Amino acid sequence: MSATEVANKTTAVSVQNVRKFYQRDTMQIKVLDGLNLEVPQGEFLALMGPSGSGKTTLLNLIAGIDRATSGRVLVAGTELGTLSEGQLAKWRSRNVGFIFQFYNLIPVLNALENVELPLLLSPLSKRERRERAMTALRIVGLADRSKHYPGQLSGGQEQRVAIARAVVTDPTVLVADEPTGDLDHQSAEEILDLMQTFNKEFGKTIVMVTHDPRAAARAHVQRHLDKGVLTN
Amino acid sequence: MKFAPLILKHLRKNWLRTLSTVLAMAVCIFLICTLQTVVDAVNYGLHLGNASRLVTRHYVSLVFNLPNSYKNKIAAIPGVQNTTIVNWFGGMYRGDMKYFFPNMAVEPEAFLQIYPEIMLPEDQKQAWFHDGRGCIVGRKLAEKWSWKVGDHFQLESFIPPYRVGKPFDFIVDGIYDTDTVKYPGTDLSAMYFNYKYLYEATGQRAGIGTLTLLIDDPKNAGRISKAIDAEFENSDVQTKTETEQAFRASFIAMAGNLALLLNGIGLAVAFTILLVTANTMSIAVRERQQEIGVLKTLGFPSGLVMALVLIEALLLGLMGGALGLILAGGAIHALPNVPFIGDVVRQFPGLGLSPRIVSYGLGAALLLGLWLAWCRRCWRIAPV
Ligand SMILES: Nc1ncnc2c1ncn2[C@@H]1O[C@H](COP(=O)(O)OP(=O)(O)OP(=O)(O)O)[C@@H](O)[C@H]1O
Ligand SMILES: [Mg+2]
Repeated sequence: MSATEVANKTTAVSVQNVRKFYQRDTMQIKVLDGLNLEVPQGEFLALMGPSGSGKTTLLNLIAGIDRATSGRVLVAGTELGTLSEGQLAKWRSRNVGFIFQFYNLIPVLNALENVELPLLLSPLSKRERRERAMTALRIVGLADRSKHYPGQLSGGQEQRVAIARAVVTDPTVLVADEPTGDLDHQSAEEILDLMQTFNKEFGKTIVMVTHDPRAAARAHVQRHLDKGVLTN
Repeated sequence: MKFAPLILKHLRKNWLRTLSTVLAMAVCIFLICTLQTVVDAVNYGLHLGNASRLVTRHYVSLVFNLPNSYKNKIAAIPGVQNTTIVNWFGGMYRGDMKYFFPNMAVEPEAFLQIYPEIMLPEDQKQAWFHDGRGCIVGRKLAEKWSWKVGDHFQLESFIPPYRVGKPFDFIVDGIYDTDTVKYPGTDLSAMYFNYKYLYEATGQRAGIGTLTLLIDDPKNAGRISKAIDAEFENSDVQTKTETEQAFRASFIAMAGNLALLLNGIGLAVAFTILLVTANTMSIAVRERQQEIGVLKTLGFPSGLVMALVLIEALLLGLMGGALGLILAGGAIHALPNVPFIGDVVRQFPGLGLSPRIVSYGLGAALLLGLWLAWCRRCWRIAPV
């Protein structure tokens, strides 16, 4: 790999001089104050830091769920600040896969239907949607549980279904907020294996917030956030 | 509509909640519609009655009779054109209140003159005039029991002076009908028989329950009423004379109070059910709000999410409303057979769910649906 190639390596996420303030009554809370972050395409980044340091806030900005008070957020070549709410929703459905701490599956839908959910927003036919969802379930190793409802799955299995849901639309970026935070050691390892697989084999850029050093060790890069500032 | 399964799955997977919500709504709609119909019927009954007919009765209570001698004295008062005794017989068919229909002892010839709305063929009239045990029955009553002219039946009164140890025998001499355009609200489920029969069967002890008078001009009603009551002011038995409308009103007022009471109870029940449903719903709300947040995070447009929630809630409202209306339709159909209330509502022409009440019901269902949707509102995005 030559030096120029490294320099040209496309950037998946670029956070430039971003501030995020919350207004609570008359008090202004500065959560992020002039933060910069570059995540190259295909990188697996672990974001660590004490509680309240603004990790989730940063993740929300990258995922297009929230807007920066000032500064620019570029993800997959789009400057998010220029999009309207509707455009942003559409952009999310195509470019971001979400993995939550508490899985957030829809309890009345079975595993297959949960995975299929984001595809409802695509122009795919019913058959194509089913096939894709089934493929994603197969990759996470739950093809035999496709008809099971979230209540009938273990936490680790639920999180695997959630990962299948996150990747089924083939997004550029996966964001995960403490994906192993609610799991036992064994299940956490399985989830981290899966995330590594999606990073290595499918080239997904991953931004993962975690408190767990073992989880962070799986990533290429670890960044620490403290009082709204990135260290190391 | 590829999103339909999302809605239906909610209704189906939480079927117990769906069922209880639909049932609760149905009961509310049912109560609102049925009670409103009863109130409408009672109000209608209050406005029935012919302005040129007066009713004279015992001053104290309908329970007491007037002496028979009063009839001629009243008939002699200027302005009174015709009179007929009308005694509530209180006869039970087959000895059971549940087969109840109004039955009255009247003076046939005068009665038919004073009540032109009671219409029957001339030969049946003549037969009735000359038959001591004869009676006439309304078309609906005849249809109900498949009675034809010449049929026999028995009634036994629950009023003590009219209980003579054995039931009264009656022969159907005529079946009356009416002109519903000219005389809306005429009761076609009543039975009238000859007062003379009652008088003789009770050993001449039956007095005058009420005396209905035809007067020359409705304008004179006040003057004539006063004249009659003044005539007996110093007698042992005083009278109370009022227009038929006022008489009915006082009679119906009892039913009206009952209707009001029912209405009150009904609304209280409906309100309670709503509270219970609200409680059930609020348990569901947290779960749903999180879910709505997830959908929005995944990129579902706000409008679509709102539509999904609204359609689901409106479907619940619609199911509850439809079920409630069906129940109300059935109840209103059965209403005329309910003792007492039935007598009042039966006079209501075309008793049934009126379009107005159906629209009330559907409107209420719609509001309940919107309210459910409001409970689930949450246009925030879920925190990642
Ligand atoms: N919607 C909001 N309104 C006001 N303040 C907020 C809001 N969201 C977050 N904050 C504040 O911003 C700060 C950072 O919150 P954030 O959730 O990003 O922390 P975190 O690093 O994810 O913490 P944790 O590890 O506990 O999840 C906190 O002080 C929090 O109280
Ligand atoms: Mg957080």
